Amino acid sequence: MSASSPRTPTQPAVTAQRWQRQQQAALIGLLLPYVLGALVLVVIPGVLALGLSFSYYDGLSAPSWWGLRNYRMFFIDPLERIAVANSLYFTLLAVPLRVLGALGLALLLRRPGRGVGLYRAAVYLPTVIPDVAYALIWLWVFNPLFGPLNLLLGVLGLPQPAWLADAATAKLVFVFMSLFQIGEGFVVLLAGLQTIPADYADAATVDGAGPVSFFRYITLPLLAPWLILLTVRDLIWSFQYTFTPSLLMTQGDPYHATLFLPLLSFEETFANLRFGMGAAILVVMFACSFALVLAFYAVVRRWTRADAA
Amino acid sequence: MPPNAIRKLAPALARHAAALALAFVFLVPLAWIVAASLRQPGLPPPRTIQWLPNPPSWANYLAIFNFPSVPLARYALNSLVVASAAVVLTAVTASWTGLAMALAPARWQARLVMFSIALLLVPAGALWLPRFVLFTWLHLIDSYGALLAPALMGSSPLFVLLFYWTYRRLPAELFESAQLDGAGLLTLWWRLALPLSTATLVAVGILTFLLYWSDFVNPLLFLKTPDLYTLPIGISQLKAMDRNNWPLLLAAAVFMTAPTVALFLVVQRFFLGENKLHL
Repeated sequence: MSASSPRTPTQPAVTAQRWQRQQQAALIGLLLPYVLGALVLVVIPGVLALGLSFSYYDGLSAPSWWGLRNYRMFFIDPLERIAVANSLYFTLLAVPLRVLGALGLALLLRRPGRGVGLYRAAVYLPTVIPDVAYALIWLWVFNPLFGPLNLLLGVLGLPQPAWLADAATAKLVFVFMSLFQIGEGFVVLLAGLQTIPADYADAATVDGAGPVSFFRYITLPLLAPWLILLTVRDLIWSFQYTFTPSLLMTQGDPYHATLFLPLLSFEETFANLRFGMGAAILVVMFACSFALVLAFYAVVRRWTRADAA
Repeated sequence: MPPNAIRKLAPALARHAAALALAFVFLVPLAWIVAASLRQPGLPPPRTIQWLPNPPSWANYLAIFNFPSVPLARYALNSLVVASAAVVLTAVTASWTGLAMALAPARWQARLVMFSIALLLVPAGALWLPRFVLFTWLHLIDSYGALLAPALMGSSPLFVLLFYWTYRRLPAELFESAQLDGAGLLTLWWRLALPLSTATLVAVGILTFLLYWSDFVNPLLFLKTPDLYTLPIGISQLKAMDRNNWPLLLAAAVFMTAPTVALFLVVQRFFLGENKLHL
């Protein structure tokens, strides 16, 4: 209960106040694991990553100051630039498709009715598959010789690409497999759609609004906060999404076509024992997602201004 | 049927057809790997799509547990131990935090919600390198302490928020009567809050189990002794040792996925169905 809630000055309220004062220490005690945990597992590692990125550290001897030398590698070593480009390619293609996919599914399955629960469960199901199993599934499906996808394409008389073995299509496989794990966005938008009052739809029908203009002028503006939150979260998360699939499925091949930033950071850290370089790559990854979020924010601002005008 | 009725029925039918087609697309990869995992060992890979091998064989599901140098049953047991410990720890810390937030002054409630949302936006999976360095200094490497550390803070800010939203909806009189009895905060939590949040407990418990059962990156980085390895590490070892034995690898994938699908089917009504958690 909040202390600011109005209370009449009767005997129980006084007791409650005294109780609250007594329990304040206990309240802080209950909050402590969460706040301390966030400090030790998120805040300190974040600062530590930034510090390590300016140092040379092999995990054994003490870290030494290295200045901007790790960051300079992004201008010297082509691998770093390839990884930045690959990660941006994945994010810029996967995030819009994932958000639009979640939106389409939520609009299609928003109304309660016969079988809708089953459809919703089917759509969410791939999201709960463990990463390692998920990587094996798509490695099998996209196997160029006897994977079911190419066998199916063969039956239909369509071309059968080499998928993960071909630098031109390998990144597309990663984008494609990320599109099946959109359950969380789907549920968020489903919840967002529930908050739109039903009488809006009735009023709009009376006014003679078609489904398209209803979506454009009622649903979309009311859903906008949820869509923005979802896009921002996805822009941040998509950079780390590629790690497990790229490590298990391709290890960055062919010709570094699937060398993404987290995989490069992992290799620099544990294969080459260059912790500072690994940290610098993570910092660049974070900066990329931050820049994309800012750019997205600018676009949204322009849209809402144009709408208001 | 009068044309008017058809015009009314057609959109509903189109909607169902589209939903059915989409459900099929989302489920077909799973159906394919189950079929492939039932293929008899030793046969060459199929040249046509097989919906069900003839005759289906369970041999691969036995073979994954008898693979030389990869004790998968042991690793599965390790995963079970880690995930169960994480569920208990998370249920305690997440509900503690949620209750404390719900009882805090309004100003602090708002701050803690903002703090949690900010934490949700941090790509915690990308903090593995500094965590590795930190855990090395804390001597947590090669112990389950490194895997379970996030459970001490409720595993995910989302779980904390779920408990907070649940407790905030409980009538204030309940807590007031407990206060009049002079009960301490821990008694309040154990006697009142926990029994009144069983739905949230079940949902958070299952989501926590899925999180730790599936976790690949943390054991990959933080464990060194093979006896401690968890199931995801074991399966990645299988893949490294027998990379083209697809029926075997896919049987392992199905074995690892089956519990997550079963638990999801239990928990899905909480957030997909009619009686979902009120967020």
